[in-house]
Amino acid sequence: MTPRRPRPRASLQPLSHAATAPAVAPPPRWRFPQPTSAARLGNGLDVLWYRLPGQHVLAATLVLDLPLSREPRDLEGLATITARVLDEGTVDHPGEQFAERLEAVGAAMGIHVSLSGQQVMLDVPVTRVAEALPLLAEAVRRPRLEAADVERHVALRLAEIEQLEANSAQTANRWLRRQLWTPDSRASRMNGGEPDTVARITPVEVAAFHAGQLGPTGATLVLAGDLAEDPLDLVADAFAGWQANPAGPELARPEPAPPSVLLVDRPGAVQADVRLAGPGTDRHDPRWPALLVGTTAVGGSFLSRLNRVLREERGWTYGVHLNLTPHRDGGSWAVSGSFRTEVVGAALAEARSLLDLGAEPLTAAETEAAVHQLTGTLPLRAATAEGVVDQVASHLLAGLPADHADQLLADVRQVGPEAATAAYTEVVDPAAPTVVVVGDAGALEPALEQAGFPVTERR
Amino acid sequence: MPAAPAVPPPLPISEHTLANGLRLVVSPDHAVPSVTVNLWYDVGSRHEQPGRSGFAHLFEHVMFQGSTHVARSQHIALVQGCGGTANATTWFDRTNYFETVPVGALELALWLEADRLGGLLDALTQASLDNQREVVKEEKRQRYDNVPYGDVLQRVVELTFPADHPYGHTTIGSMDDLDAASLDDVREFFRAHYLPSNAVLSVVGDVGVERATELVEREFGPLTDRVRPDVPDPAPLPPLTGSPRDEVRAAVPSDAVHLSWRLPALDQDEFDALDVALGVLGDGQSARLHRRLVRTELAEAAGASSLGLIGGNSIGIVSGRARDGVPVERVESTLLAEVARLGAEGPTEEEVDRVVAQFERSWLQSLSRIDSRADQLSRAATLLDDPARVNERITEVRAVTPEQVRDAAARWLSPTSCGTLVHVQEA
Repeated sequence: MTPRRPRPRASLQPLSHAATAPAVAPPPRWRFPQPTSAARLGNGLDVLWYRLPGQHVLAATLVLDLPLSREPRDLEGLATITARVLDEGTVDHPGEQFAERLEAVGAAMGIHVSLSGQQVMLDVPVTRVAEALPLLAEAVRRPRLEAADVERHVALRLAEIEQLEANSAQTANRWLRRQLWTPDSRASRMNGGEPDTVARITPVEVAAFHAGQLGPTGATLVLAGDLAEDPLDLVADAFAGWQANPAGPELARPEPAPPSVLLVDRPGAVQADVRLAGPGTDRHDPRWPALLVGTTAVGGSFLSRLNRVLREERGWTYGVHLNLTPHRDGGSWAVSGSFRTEVVGAALAEARSLLDLGAEPLTAAETEAAVHQLTGTLPLRAATAEGVVDQVASHLLAGLPADHADQLLADVRQVGPEAATAAYTEVVDPAAPTVVVVGDAGALEPALEQAGFPVTERR
Repeated sequence: MPAAPAVPPPLPISEHTLANGLRLVVSPDHAVPSVTVNLWYDVGSRHEQPGRSGFAHLFEHVMFQGSTHVARSQHIALVQGCGGTANATTWFDRTNYFETVPVGALELALWLEADRLGGLLDALTQASLDNQREVVKEEKRQRYDNVPYGDVLQRVVELTFPADHPYGHTTIGSMDDLDAASLDDVREFFRAHYLPSNAVLSVVGDVGVERATELVEREFGPLTDRVRPDVPDPAPLPPLTGSPRDEVRAAVPSDAVHLSWRLPALDQDEFDALDVALGVLGDGQSARLHRRLVRTELAEAAGASSLGLIGGNSIGIVSGRARDGVPVERVESTLLAEVARLGAEGPTEEEVDRVVAQFERSWLQSLSRIDSRADQLSRAATLLDDPARVNERITEVRAVTPEQVRDAAARWLSPTSCGTLVHVQEA
């Protein structure tokens, strides 16, 4: 045996590809970005600015306190139509001049209408923020809302619903809301309105809704990007004159409907879209971090219990997921997947049995993997300007602090297998779920019956 | 005219070729404690043998079924279990594989990629192939067969190229060909295309060039290269002739028309001019097609886009969906009239400026994330042979003039050289 020589430091690591996976160093301490500056304008508009080095496209989102409870019941879709007409011309840039101007400065506007509020978004290269930000303010404060534009957007929304009805997955999602919640719950109908109410929307109502509901009260403008100058002065110039509006009612918590099995017929479909769901909870619930870990292990990761068996072992689906949909108040859980017609009964039965943790609680290894997955991907999701403003907006719309990610991260790290199993079992009840199946009903109905899901409604 | 806004500073780009031919591109960015590993293999559906359509993509799925030291289905689980994401996609020209991970898992990501490039066949079984064949067939049903207009791309390429042309079929392939794929096909495909010298590896994020190079040398350096068999290198085809037409009756919510053209390959200057031409027609609310078809209530939607390809030709597509009660012929003739007018008169300076400004934003957005930045670097290295072209892109597109757009549109986007696909609602 030759005497041991001192080993160079580098050889503490293998010199070539090893037979076992390299160890993973723990992630460095990470915090959600803090605002570089924050202000409240005289009219009540809050402004949060995040300077993010290297982010050459500024992302801005105006988060409006405009839950869908502000729409009249017989005119649902009004918030969406109003938002869609904002960029069809302003007092300062009528008609197509607005889109021309916006596009010429390299900017894009978008809207997002959710149950708890609305976002009007702007993306623009940081070199052109001074030109683009006033356009965002113009569109929100002084849109023309021309009759022809409103009427066209009503017709396009109705056409969009026809497109959705021709799409199996979207049809399943639409029916799922209807089956999950009572008709009194706004969550039971599409955020953008159903055909009967959309068809009633006229330019007069759009003008009134804009004047009464779109304002700075309770609103926050969130901006992020690599801009040397603090943009608060620009924001104040563009938005300070915006008249405050009266505050309105919050959206009531949705009421769960009784369990059901709905079969929607698409004759000749080569696949069926399946949803298996139930009422859940929201991000204010103290069980939320543990629930998130539990659902990730059961149906959120690639080798979750559901995807491992139904995709990687059986080959029955391209992918199956268990997702949580938190509202500001209340929420739901749902398993979603598409399966070829002949395996739908077996897939549903197997999914229900996998969802039931009674015999097999979550293991320490499953829980740890889920915790790592959730905590590791958070920094990635907040790595861009767009990612930061999206997350802040999502937190604000849920009534949570802008930097809620930090608390969530800390809480998720503490979750062990017992807590994850307990929270999951309390919320996800696979015994009496709401089921929606969209596919070839003739072939599916007997299979569902046989699998223990007798159809209660047909469409 | 005001001076063009400043372009962001160039990305740091370092290149290194391993002895076995693997090309490495490193671009450090320490803003976030994460790193992306992105591998482009120069193999896509255009390299598939007759009767084996869909194979490159099926193969991509098999790449997640384990390798010498990685158990079946564990690749993504290992990455997710340390807080990362992993996936892959297949396209006409290439297959890409990528992991984005917290920086402490960089070695794991490289190890996983090296293990399957070195030893995929060690773990290959009939059971794993059969399982992924079924998964891919479900993917085809979910994304193409059970979706209205899900057949558009397949029908467009069939109109635009001869059946035996490398671009004459799509990446998802046919059910019959997927059924026919055998273990021997997998082995042969792996040996022919999955070579160190047929790959570009980009590492972008919170790591220095020296450290990244050291780790890549350690993981990939021992792999031996092989000689790649000849692959198809199709000569550029001239514009289409004969006005091929495909009319489909289907369960679609609206009548729709798609017009397709052969364009030059994406590395030709004329391709950029045509990309701008299609932007003038279809990009945004101020675009010509939106004004002429959507605002006038002829169409629910109207658009234009290029599908850039490297093998001789690219594809240009102009499309519209008719509003209820509007004959689809009227949508078709209006689309064609707008295309013809662009070739005859050219765009205005303002129109070109808008398209270029919109391009700049979307380009900068694609560079704002380390995962898509790595993908752009791998793409430029694979298709254009130079990752640093990423730093030239804005300047290249800004250089396009209205006259170039007009001339390229006149030459390539003639109404007499398109294929026409019409979807009509079943009665």
